[in-house]
Amino acid sequence: MSPKRKHSAAPSTAPLTNDPVLRSVSRAVFALVLLFALLLLWRGHNAPGGGFIAGLMTACALILHRMATGESALRLDPIRLLPWGLALSFGTGLVPYLLGKPYLKSDYGYIKTPLTGEFEWATALLFDLGVYLLVVGSSLAIAYALTEVNPQETVEGDE
Amino acid sequence: MTLAVFLPFLLSALAAWLGPRLGRRTGYVAALAFLPALLLAAPLVRQPGVEPALEVTRWVPDLGLELAFRGDGFSLLFAVLIGVIGTLASLYSVAYLSEWERFGRFYAYLLLFGGSMLGLVLSDNLLALFGFWEMTSVTSFLLIGLWHTRSAARDGAVKAFLVSALGGLGLLAAVALLSIAGGSSSLSGLDVEALRASPLFVPALLLTLLAAFTKSAQLPFHLWLPTAMEAPTPVSAFLHSATMVKAGVVLVAKLGLLFGTSPLWPGITVPLGLATLVWGAWLALRQTDLKALLAYSTVSQLGLLMSLYGLANPAGNFAATAHLLNHAAFKAALFFVVGIIDHETGTRELPQLGGLRRQLPVTFAVTLLAALSMAGLPPLGGFVSKELFFEAMLKQGPAWIAVAVLGSALTFAYTFRLLRVFLGAPRAPAGAQPHEAPLGLTLPAAGLAATALTFGLLPSSAEALTRTAQHALNFATFSGHLRLWHGVTPALLATLLTWGLGGLLVWQARRLESWQRRLTPRWNANSVYYSLLEAVNVLSSRLIARTQGLALPDQLRIMLTAAALIAGVGVLRAPQVFHPIGTLPLGVLPVAALLVTGAIGVLLARNRLTAVVVTGLTGFGSAAAFLAFRAPDLALTQLLVEAVTVILFLLAFRYLPGGRDLPRSPLRYGIDLLLAGLAGVGATLLVLSSVRFLAPPISPYYLVNSYTGGGGKNVVNVLLVDFRGFDTLGEITVVGIVALAILSLVRLGKRGHTPSDRLPPEGERP
Repeated sequence: MSPKRKHSAAPSTAPLTNDPVLRSVSRAVFALVLLFALLLLWRGHNAPGGGFIAGLMTACALILHRMATGESALRLDPIRLLPWGLALSFGTGLVPYLLGKPYLKSDYGYIKTPLTGEFEWATALLFDLGVYLLVVGSSLAIAYALTEVNPQETVEGDE
Repeated sequence: MTLAVFLPFLLSALAAWLGPRLGRRTGYVAALAFLPALLLAAPLVRQPGVEPALEVTRWVPDLGLELAFRGDGFSLLFAVLIGVIGTLASLYSVAYLSEWERFGRFYAYLLLFGGSMLGLVLSDNLLALFGFWEMTSVTSFLLIGLWHTRSAARDGAVKAFLVSALGGLGLLAAVALLSIAGGSSSLSGLDVEALRASPLFVPALLLTLLAAFTKSAQLPFHLWLPTAMEAPTPVSAFLHSATMVKAGVVLVAKLGLLFGTSPLWPGITVPLGLATLVWGAWLALRQTDLKALLAYSTVSQLGLLMSLYGLANPAGNFAATAHLLNHAAFKAALFFVVGIIDHETGTRELPQLGGLRRQLPVTFAVTLLAALSMAGLPPLGGFVSKELFFEAMLKQGPAWIAVAVLGSALTFAYTFRLLRVFLGAPRAPAGAQPHEAPLGLTLPAAGLAATALTFGLLPSSAEALTRTAQHALNFATFSGHLRLWHGVTPALLATLLTWGLGGLLVWQARRLESWQRRLTPRWNANSVYYSLLEAVNVLSSRLIARTQGLALPDQLRIMLTAAALIAGVGVLRAPQVFHPIGTLPLGVLPVAALLVTGAIGVLLARNRLTAVVVTGLTGFGSAAAFLAFRAPDLALTQLLVEAVTVILFLLAFRYLPGGRDLPRSPLRYGIDLLLAGLAGVGATLLVLSSVRFLAPPISPYYLVNSYTGGGGKNVVNVLLVDFRGFDTLGEITVVGIVALAILSLVRLGKRGHTPSDRLPPEGERP
């Protein structure tokens, strides 16, 4: 039942496109998108944003970079982010539990520094960071895995 | 007690980390984990029979689930037993395991197992008890399958897991029935009177027995235990002697106090236990592998324990607890000895070994003590507890004592078969230079054998230990004692008969062997297991072929029909759906037009790429709609999900064949049109129904409480990370698992490649 694939020798590592326009644009946009993603993560607690969205946006930026240059901007296997993200979210939730509050109950407060003025801290940010890492890891892992499939591999009987 | 249960779990994580760094020395760390369990002996020694201590730790109180550890005499005794054998097994493994073992895994699993076992015997909460019970199944699966490159180990692990998982399901049901009928999820808090009067009593009893029999390898579930010997020998000693397999015995002992009043309880356990005693011993006598012999001997001894605890009377409980201690001592010692023999000669095959007493005199002495205790010879512990066993069975009737004697005679016979490796002319495989094993291997075995001797020479010490369980198991009033010499009693006569019969079996060993070969049944529990497994596989693959082998369009038709039917019934039942049509905001009509255009565009697209891009149009349209309804969070999420989905689609489609239309008859066209229409109308009606609330909306609660409760002004985010944070945690777990699944699917058939080695080497990077 399963389609037979013609295996080709080496997996391709070349950029998917050789488009100079894409490469220049991605170089300019990459940092901006990443910065925006981090902003979304940071402000998520009080304004539209949050770990999930920020994670997706980061993944988009990294995929764009990968497409344009053929190189991963992330210097580690994205799948490795999964356990860390999960552990961070789980661990953040565990702290209030061990302190006798409900599991995952978040805490918050305010800090005043001369440099930034008053700003709010919330443990929810840590939880969100876990979500962020996990989403980045999963979507990148899937995208990279699909990118690494050699496009020359075709299903038999294809026209 | 809580510490005793948790320390192995904590140190397990540490051991996983230390394993690759410290190597075999991790075993010393592992041994430390059982220290608190050993310290539990203190309350036992100080004041036997005091009020049991209760330690409660919060877990999920809303579900009645808490970690309640109750230290009554029996639980503590058992916990100490686990601690002792666990410590010895850890120390023994330091000397036993080879240099290239994966220590991180080995000790982590060993400690996880020890911790679950401690939790199991100490738990007072029924749900927690079930949890620990299942954890022992999972961890023993990991331990048995430790050498997973060997198919026998995988097979043994799967078999052990399937059989004990079956029992686990039984236990779950039993626990549920018990807590419903008894009105409490705590073992000590059950309302015994209500429980006995309840119609759920008999089902709970039967299910409990199913669990106990599978775990303790009683007939016909004994098949998993011998294959479980694929685990490394220290693990076998731990699993077989003290713990895993005795979990079922513990269950029968503890719940016998509840169920014992029903004639069903002893009516099932005693005959089955005795049958297991005889059959296990018979099978043990047939083995040529020393470890297999010991494994079947464990099956047989568990049958003995089961029949005694199954009596659920003071005499049975007393005898069983005494034998439990003896069995742990001699069986662990024997496993350690077999490990030594394996270590020194490189084989465990009986026919290849002989006369080892010359090269291994110390090991021989140790084996002799442990083995004679197993055979029930004086002056060893096994003799004393076997007398009690005969006494208890004598009270049951002549048939019972006959079976008991037969089983014990077979035990006698296989013990001497085991000792044959030390007797006769020296024989060892070529190249093996057996000499005395290092102290690390000999000492644990010698210590246990000395215990077996102490239990026999000083029966009062064994009795003191046994009596610590007297309040927990309700045999405080029992007047019997452990003694070497009771005078000439019927039990002594039965013992003499056993020896005579056993001696006969040893003398006629050759004839017995040929008999056994002739009497081997054509099918056994193992073949039944394999044919069952085969049948289940065939059944499931046929079922899948029937239900999921259709072409994609056909499956889609089935799904759409089902969706239309379900939604249709829902809408018909709720006529108020049509009410809010007049109140629709008309401002979103342009967006709706965009969505419809996108949907029609997908239909018209001749090529996959176009189709995906146009599908994206509907997604972005929805985002616009969310914006129109003032839900920026949703809109943002929708936008990004849409973007990533389109990227992934495009990546996946690169290597699919071009789109082709399957030929469709006009009738098919008609059906498809109808289905599509119904699905569309159904979805619209469903959305409409959600516009009008049937119950007071819950959103004001979040609007009011999000800032004070979660400290955030973005209600959606606070909802995600605080109020419903547990859901989010579950969802991201699912996301992670999906990523792993896709990864393994994509990499299927491409072994040896990880993404990192597919990146260009350092020098070639731009």
